[in-house]
Amino acid sequence: MPRNGKLVRITLVTAAAAAVAVVAVVTAGTASARSSSGSVNGAGSTFVAPLVLKWAGPVQQALGFQLNYNPVGSGGGVSAITNKQVDFGASDAPLSQFSPTCTTCVQIPWALAATGVIYNLPGDQHLHMTGSVLAQIFMGKITKWNDPAIKKLNKGHNLPSSSITVVHRSDSSGTSFNFTDYLSHVSHAWKTEVGTGTAVNWPAGEGEKGSSGVAAAVNSTNGAIGYVDVYYAVHNHLGLMVMKNRSGKFVQPRAKGILAAALLDTHPAKDGSLSIVNPPKSKQYRNAYPICTYTYVDVQKSSGGNAANIKKLLNWAITKGQSYGPALIFEPLPKGVVAFDKKQIKKIHS
Amino acid sequence: MTSLDVSADAARRPFSGRRGRLGDLLLQGAAGIAALGALVLVGLIAWKVIQGARLSISTFGLSFVWNTTWDQVHNVFGAGAFLYGTAVTSFGALILATPIALGIAIFLTELAPRWVRGPVTALVETLAAIPSVVIGLWGILVLGPALRDHVNPVLHSVLGFIPLFGPPGTYGSNVFTAIVVLTIMILPIIASISRELFLSVPAELKEGALGLGTTRWEMIRGVVFPYSRGGVAAAVILGFGRAIGEAIAVAQVIGAFTGISINLFHPGNTAGGQIALNAQGASSGLETSSLIYLALILLVFSIVVNLLAQFIVRRSARRLWTAT
Amino acid sequence: MSAADLNLLQRPNDRLRRRRLVNLGMEVLAWLAAAIAVAILGIVVWSVAKKGAGALNLDLFTKSQANASLFGGPVRQGLANAFVGTLIVVGLATLMALPFGILIAIYVNEFAPRAIKSLVGLTLDVLAGVPAIVIGIFVFSLIVVAHGQSAYAGGFALAVIMLPFVARATIEVLALVPNSLREAALGVGAPRWRVTLGVVLPQTIGGVLTGATLAVARVAGETAPLLYTCSLVAQGTHWNPSQPLQTIPVAIFELSESASTDDQALAWAGALVLILFILFASLGARWLATRSRRKMLGAVR
Repeated sequence: MPRNGKLVRITLVTAAAAAVAVVAVVTAGTASARSSSGSVNGAGSTFVAPLVLKWAGPVQQALGFQLNYNPVGSGGGVSAITNKQVDFGASDAPLSQFSPTCTTCVQIPWALAATGVIYNLPGDQHLHMTGSVLAQIFMGKITKWNDPAIKKLNKGHNLPSSSITVVHRSDSSGTSFNFTDYLSHVSHAWKTEVGTGTAVNWPAGEGEKGSSGVAAAVNSTNGAIGYVDVYYAVHNHLGLMVMKNRSGKFVQPRAKGILAAALLDTHPAKDGSLSIVNPPKSKQYRNAYPICTYTYVDVQKSSGGNAANIKKLLNWAITKGQSYGPALIFEPLPKGVVAFDKKQIKKIHS
Repeated sequence: MTSLDVSADAARRPFSGRRGRLGDLLLQGAAGIAALGALVLVGLIAWKVIQGARLSISTFGLSFVWNTTWDQVHNVFGAGAFLYGTAVTSFGALILATPIALGIAIFLTELAPRWVRGPVTALVETLAAIPSVVIGLWGILVLGPALRDHVNPVLHSVLGFIPLFGPPGTYGSNVFTAIVVLTIMILPIIASISRELFLSVPAELKEGALGLGTTRWEMIRGVVFPYSRGGVAAAVILGFGRAIGEAIAVAQVIGAFTGISINLFHPGNTAGGQIALNAQGASSGLETSSLIYLALILLVFSIVVNLLAQFIVRRSARRLWTAT
Repeated sequence: MSAADLNLLQRPNDRLRRRRLVNLGMEVLAWLAAAIAVAILGIVVWSVAKKGAGALNLDLFTKSQANASLFGGPVRQGLANAFVGTLIVVGLATLMALPFGILIAIYVNEFAPRAIKSLVGLTLDVLAGVPAIVIGIFVFSLIVVAHGQSAYAGGFALAVIMLPFVARATIEVLALVPNSLREAALGVGAPRWRVTLGVVLPQTIGGVLTGATLAVARVAGETAPLLYTCSLVAQGTHWNPSQPLQTIPVAIFELSESASTDDQALAWAGALVLILFILFASLGARWLATRSRRKMLGAVR
């Protein structure tokens, strides 16, 4: 036997043990996947993350299983559910916006909220803003805070001469879709040069990952402007712009503004999508905030062993779950949408 | 004796029968297949990356390389802005890292007291072992803001006449931060290879020069550098190859801006960074294919750079053999 | 002595002084360079240690990332899912790369003619030079497009990165085994395979382990190859390798871009554990290397 025979024996035994351990883990893992897992896993939109993560505790209590959610962005969520890596995917942009997309999924609008325009300037100013000026800022055409266009909307406010740092999403994002959809509605230049999408060719600014990335960047950069789900703004104490709607009123992204905007479209299309961006001038939408959106959950029609739990979760989410919304600035779904959703959920089977 | 001679010898000796021959065949077969597998693997990498990029190649052709648009709405993609970013960050890191790395190598081989050499060498190699994601994390949360608040404005006021050092703005994530991060990452590679090269310079040559009355620096400049010229060139090229391939740390600190900006204090993006940032779901099959096209360009560059470094090493080694 | 003669005496001294000054300047710069390197390392490690130590507690290892974040869900601050995932993915990678690498080394050192030896060596060097992100794209194109992400795909990507390291380390150690050993074994009539596996290889176990440990230390921190192969994960702690599993480097990558200080603290803690593991593994490998080299040199008497 060679001189270091003992070392050889120890090594071989350790290696064999390690191999056995890995094989055991692998078999256990595959086995546990086949049985019903006592948890429902989802991934996707950072926009809806505050609400879904809030649901975890109540879901465990009321329905008895664990709700796991990974906020990777709408694009990641659609990717994940298309490849059946998760039980549900969450996206603020309808499935038709993605390619490849999940052709075997049902799309269910399950929350309603607004995209806030956040900014970082000293003093709590609640600046007024219009869509066309906003578009010019994000196109890099307006670069200073004391630009005449901004000053005109905010007479009496002391606007500094500092530069505007634009922050946008770098990943495939439903929030970007909502925001660019709005800008395309209010600015012909934006519509032709940049367009609407979950990711676009941003003419200016720096990109960050996730709504929390954008919030972080705006929070740490003086003079920055960005767009996130409203709750991120409130939670991080960031300035929120008051947007002018088509009826001429300046509206804050709050419950009243969101509920008014939701009146624009109460009947989901056949694929489940709704559009409530930039409601037209009318008494009905007088108080509407112009950058609101529904956000969707996408589930495979044949969802395997976990289908029962998924259906329980979704039915709970569109009814009892909605009560957790208002504290996080998500508004309850209108009755027509809930009815549509219930029919969609029935299409899910194992 | 080489293993070739041993095997020739062994062929003449008696085997322990058929079992021996079968065992030999099996081992040689398995090992040979493994070696073949390595060759196949490299080919497979090239093939699969080309295959994934095919859609984008057939749509955009060669113009992809210089087109600077990346537009998911109109489905037009081009690598131009990212290749520019890769070039700027890599060359910038090279310019910053090479003198520092050579300085470290000189320090470790000529100047440091003996008890310092071991620990400092270990420290430099530890720097190489830090994962890029950790350097990126430090870059976003510590380095970026520190540079933005203290260094960039100073650089702009002193060197502002050069367009590279334009107005710093409020971006913590920008090209300059990425250059500093890349410098930190390629520094250990160049330093450790140079150190080994300097150590291999024959003592007689060095002592001869010093005996003639040169200062230490003149000796280094006149003997050590020329002697190890080829190896140092290869080390620098390898460092460059590392820099162009780095994706993670760059993605974290460079600000994800698609476009060409001369100003280093403005966000930008590199090929590796763009690929890393779009991992969680591209918006279309064409975009995915374009990302793979970007990876193909990176692959070609890294293989060329690698082969170049190998070629230089082999040529300078041959010169060394003939010289000694 | 005239003034002119004095001048003549002074000028070479001036030149000498200038040369000495330049020399001094260069030496100072070299010291500065070394100081910069040490300072950078110190700053980075200190930042990680200071910010990571705060979040370093038992929860980090026992609680998972599920729902650990800003929004007042049940706060389960931990990276348990990432630790488990990294163990499985790196374990799979090692299982794939180690035998493959050792076999390549055996072929190169024991069987290959010179031309093939340099060809395989070149191939390994080229492989080592391929950027990690490109290898991730390769595995994406090879496996993920058809079968989706999984720990297997991620492990395979890491194995491709490990392969050149393991193979090269094993080649070097095999070459160190003196031919007299092989001759002696062949001389008593042992077949080739017996000699290689039973006599030569056991001599190199230390070196092989060193190479394997260094390779593991290297890939434990790799993020890029996992992005396209094993990153779309569900948050709980899972063990199934046919699903994508969370890994520490990917977790750090995601958390590093977050606004929440809780997320950032988690990222620092993960970075600290990662660095400690890598330092440990590198030191262990170095110790193994010196030990096996001492044994090897002792064997040649």
